[in-house]
Amino acid sequence: MTGRLRGLLPALLVAALALGACSSPAREPDARPPAGGAQTLPGPPPADLALRPPPATAPAAPSFTATLTDGTGVAAATLWADRPVVLLFVSSWCTTCADRQRALADLARRYRDRVVFVGVAGEDEPAALDGYLREHGVEHPVVIDGSMTVWRSYAMREPPGVVLISRGGRLLRGWPGGVDAATLDAQLRALALAP
Amino acid sequence: MTAASPGSRRVAGLLAGLACVGAFGAGCGADAPAGSPMTVRLLVRDINIRPAGVDCAGSGAYLYVHRSAPYQVTDRDGAVLHRGELPAGTAVPAFEEDLEVERIPTYCAFAIPVSVPERGGYRLVIDGRPPIELTTDRENPEGPSLVAVIP
Repeated sequence: MTGRLRGLLPALLVAALALGACSSPAREPDARPPAGGAQTLPGPPPADLALRPPPATAPAAPSFTATLTDGTGVAAATLWADRPVVLLFVSSWCTTCADRQRALADLARRYRDRVVFVGVAGEDEPAALDGYLREHGVEHPVVIDGSMTVWRSYAMREPPGVVLISRGGRLLRGWPGGVDAATLDAQLRALALAP
Repeated sequence: MTAASPGSRRVAGLLAGLACVGAFGAGCGADAPAGSPMTVRLLVRDINIRPAGVDCAGSGAYLYVHRSAPYQVTDRDGAVLHRGELPAGTAVPAFEEDLEVERIPTYCAFAIPVSVPERGGYRLVIDGRPPIELTTDRENPEGPSLVAVIP
């Protein structure tokens, strides 16, 4: 190789690095616990929590056990034993989910301890899901439904989807295709929370 | 045109290799041969209830067809010609009748820009699933296309 060509090598390497600049840089391992893990489970419900009784004709919600993002096991029957539950079926690649997620996460914070919001993530990868949850400010529990068992038991074919369940586990309302936070808030007041 | 010296050829080869490394880092499909632009048009006939025009994925058994899912376009021998990640699909009405409701039976249609060299046939492989045969449609009014319908 000539000296002139040898002199070109550093420039070529810089060019190659520039071409590859859109690749992900090396990152430090993330020591934080996964978003949606046990730390997001609610405390005891407030003593003055007033709820509407579910309609006598409301069917029983499918019960399930599942695993949170950090591996902690949860049982649906435990979650809805003393307060309503909102199931949010999501995937990190779902654009409609992303459009609505931050407002729904805000709603979940507003109702924390009175209504349990639970994300049910399906057809997803843990790293992508964690990034999605952090990006959208999700601070409620999220289960990973790797086998899609929970999705199938609620007839969920595609994200997003939302299901409202009464205290005691009765189905109050479902929204295949999802619902915006304002509508869900209104329906929570109309169907689950006493004025 | 003058003949290239061995040193120049080495530099050209090095440049090509480095550009390839850079392109791969950008997720642009490094090992695929150059080709002409076409659009893979995949219609997932899942008959799911959605508003027409919204973003969608394949539903139910076809949920693996979704935005960010890795895909490859191969020739009939399995050689990779293009690779990338799927864009979101768009919900299109499954029937022509006006049902006068917002949420209607729909299919999920994907339009995936690719660049592939001339081959006798093409296949689409999504996330390692069995290959889907693509039909070449050079007369498509929206431009040269590789078309598939599932199921």
